Amino acid sequence: MPSGCPCVSLDASCVSASHSSASVTQSYSLTQAHKPTIMATVAEPNAIVDWPDRYAHIDQILENAGPRTDPAFAAGDEVKGFLRTQAKVLVIGAGGLGCEILANLALTGFKDIHVIDMDTIDVSNLNRQFLFRPKDVGKSKANCAAEFIMKRVPGVVVTPYFGKIQDKDEDYYMQFNLVICGLDSVEARRWMSATLVNMVDPENPESLKPLIDGGTEGFKGQARVILPTITSCYECSLDMLNKQTVFPICTIANTPRLPEHCIEWASVLEWPRIQADKKLDTDDPDHINWLYTKALARAKEFKIEGVTWSLTQGVVKHIIPAIASTNAIIAAACCNEAFKIATTSAAFLNNYFMLIGTEGIYSYTFEHEKRPDCPVCGGEALEMTISADLTLEELIELLQEKQDIQIKKPSLSTADTQLYLQAPPQLEAATRPNLLKKVSELVKGDAAITVTSSTLPFNLTLRIVYN
Amino acid sequence: MTTESQDISDVITSAAPDAKTRRYDRQLRLWASTGQARLEEARLLVLSASATSTSILKNLVLPGVGHFTILDDAITSAADAGNNFFLEGPSSIGKPRAQEAVRLLLELNDGVVGEAITDKPISTVVGDLEFLSKYTIVIAHNLPPSQLDTLSKSLWSTASAPILLTVNSSGFLAEIFIQHAPHPIIESHTESLPSLRIYDPFPALLEYSKGLDLDNMDPTVHAHVPYIPILIHARSRLDGIPKTSEEKAAFKKSLLELKKKQDEENFDEAYAQAYRVWAPTPIPSNLTQHIFPHLEDKLAPPVLPPSIHGLLVALKRFTEREPHVLPLSPALPDMKASTESYIHLQRMYKDRFNTDKEVLKSLIPEEAGDIPDDLVDTFIKNAHGVQVVIGEQYGAFDKDPSRIANALEIAPKDLGVHLALQAVREEIEAAGKSGDALARVEREALTKRVLAKLAKGTELSEEIEEAIGEVIRAPVADIPNTAAMLGGMVAQEAIKMITRQYVPQSGYCVVDCIDMRTGVLV
Repeated sequence: MPSGCPCVSLDASCVSASHSSASVTQSYSLTQAHKPTIMATVAEPNAIVDWPDRYAHIDQILENAGPRTDPAFAAGDEVKGFLRTQAKVLVIGAGGLGCEILANLALTGFKDIHVIDMDTIDVSNLNRQFLFRPKDVGKSKANCAAEFIMKRVPGVVVTPYFGKIQDKDEDYYMQFNLVICGLDSVEARRWMSATLVNMVDPENPESLKPLIDGGTEGFKGQARVILPTITSCYECSLDMLNKQTVFPICTIANTPRLPEHCIEWASVLEWPRIQADKKLDTDDPDHINWLYTKALARAKEFKIEGVTWSLTQGVVKHIIPAIASTNAIIAAACCNEAFKIATTSAAFLNNYFMLIGTEGIYSYTFEHEKRPDCPVCGGEALEMTISADLTLEELIELLQEKQDIQIKKPSLSTADTQLYLQAPPQLEAATRPNLLKKVSELVKGDAAITVTSSTLPFNLTLRIVYN
Repeated sequence: MTTESQDISDVITSAAPDAKTRRYDRQLRLWASTGQARLEEARLLVLSASATSTSILKNLVLPGVGHFTILDDAITSAADAGNNFFLEGPSSIGKPRAQEAVRLLLELNDGVVGEAITDKPISTVVGDLEFLSKYTIVIAHNLPPSQLDTLSKSLWSTASAPILLTVNSSGFLAEIFIQHAPHPIIESHTESLPSLRIYDPFPALLEYSKGLDLDNMDPTVHAHVPYIPILIHARSRLDGIPKTSEEKAAFKKSLLELKKKQDEENFDEAYAQAYRVWAPTPIPSNLTQHIFPHLEDKLAPPVLPPSIHGLLVALKRFTEREPHVLPLSPALPDMKASTESYIHLQRMYKDRFNTDKEVLKSLIPEEAGDIPDDLVDTFIKNAHGVQVVIGEQYGAFDKDPSRIANALEIAPKDLGVHLALQAVREEIEAAGKSGDALARVEREALTKRVLAKLAKGTELSEEIEEAIGEVIRAPVADIPNTAAMLGGMVAQEAIKMITRQYVPQSGYCVVDCIDMRTGVLV
């Protein structure tokens, strides 16, 4: 544990009494747990309600070192005390992975858990997000999940936040020992990873917060451990993402061949043309119905088969198939790493675990390498070779498309000039004429270009070479 | 799919998904309604309500398995209440464990039926084939070896007996094994693609491609000829198939020379796909080596269902005829083309698919009975990925010294975990400590049991020593993260077996949550 495991003195009746006789445990009840004699003497209000033998299983791990355990492992009360009364973890996402992560953390003995999720519960979540029931549809995922865990696993405090990760500042993130991400959004992951990298202060070891990230798709998934600035960060691995299928506008408009082309035509071209300013809400079944009708008519016109309601919804919402079992595997892998990091009971993952369940149980564990020119954690300038005729606008387009950068709405400047700024509006207007100028005219010699993004804590240095 | 005569407004009302489809949307996109129907027909028997067992069940109740039974006569202990999410903490202590677990699992999905059997010890059912045969799959976690042995023998005695999915875990280490009769998979969801028949075009495709007048084409049409006919056309003008690397390079260059304008992407696609002209798509060895030779003996009904056997016999006969290819799949990938040229090409593939389908149907032996047309369609569309996983009896690996010796060489870590886990279950049963959450084992006793499984004189490797050490550390620990991971893995395998889609695990799958890796022993 980078922040150390301060030894907490616990009342023996709480933790060390795990070998008391079975007859005592049989007559034990929740109300008794609140009696002060059984409570730990620790000040934290959350460190209560541990009944004898509660942790009989996990304590086998925490009381004994294994042959591969780090010699620094403080077996026994010290490590149990840290886990159960000191450790504070943050879970990002209370969806498919988040529900599983919260349950695992709670059962493992983490007592102070925070969770952030901006989403509300949809009926299609119920096939896997097992902390929610049909009556919860429409409610906040973070609130519901927190409430359920606290009811099911007594003594665990889950603090929910129904909102965005971007609402919180560094002071907020600084309070946790580690962060676990169970997200379906690349954007949110990039933001979280970059924020934690930026928080690292070499003078203050506490500022380094391990980030554990999980993701799934169908029968496949991955879990990884990121030690910000030390191991490869989320940004370092952007090029591993599958490139999203983008249908060229000319295909959609002129030469549709697939049912997907007809659906894209309905949502990208027909909706704005006919519905004008009305915003397309892909969660609104009436809107999907409208798109489906339009797409089906177009498909008929072009003799294309295969437009269905389900496909329409899948294409416009970019639906990724998701099942409980895959989420269970990946969430368990994430929590297992959190547990190992928090307790040093076993070495943690270095640093990437990939699972493919479509053909047997196949997995691949490897060390993903840090990118020296990573715009978030690398520090080295990224070299780009471009034509001397390339305009600034074309360079910006290139940066947005580049698989290992994928920067949205970048602002560019050199040490002495603002090349193009996305905001504020006055500066945007003032720098806009530069877009049509050649980069070679704007940037002399090998001057470095600093690229920043409004959506990410991101600072990329570009060095241009002309071919 | 809608027919021409249907009015669009009729379609809309019937197309919007019902409540069940909405709930299961994210999984139906994987295994479709056919897989879902099989899942809903399945009946599970789970032996013990341990944390691992309830984790497995959670992942099968959520997607809507039809029915499950937990058989467990244990009373919830303080330790159970601490590590099992499907017990309600201290309030479950003292109550029948299976009953509590069933109640809480059923909250997850009101479309599922579940029951607890608490008045029968597991030992009384493991040899009762009549009882066991009511189920599709039997799942067992940390069963005492003598009971597991009886159970696996019962379930191996006939091909129609339930599948056995067994899990063995201690602390951070675990292994999974599936015992099953030959298991046919039509929808394997393989990532390999069916042949496009560019190497060996069917007559209509060849004729169409040869007849293309690329030179006198309207420039817009020229820029939208799909790459498949371009390749076949270009090849038809050669004397033979390009063989040497020079010939291949020249052929590729000639494709680019056919361009009228530099930006004709269809010719770029042809260039990129040129290898298909000289690369035949052989009939997969899964079919030629593992299925076709055994259709009359070890895969004959009732081992395989008559309908699937009949389709496989027909497929074998089909491939024995000229031109020795699989029936054509109607699936055409997207490619640069105009709507008309693409739809025209697609029509050609569909027509050929229909012709091949009729031929295939005529080759189905009579004893296969009536086979629904949509099954034939599915079969042809997936013919290139069809598999029959043979399966073997639990423990066959351990009775074969040559396989153990081989694993010692090629998978020492996995073998170490396997041997240590096998030994610890034996030792705990021998000491009469099954079900004791605090049981400890001695290194000496465990080492002795491991050595007994190896050839005489084998020295314990570091990998085996480490596995033994880790198992001694936590011999009976069913820790939450390992339980959750096994819950996911076993449920995935159960889903694959039940839906008969995707490919299940063969051999022991070994899980090491310290190194966070999995391995296979075969």
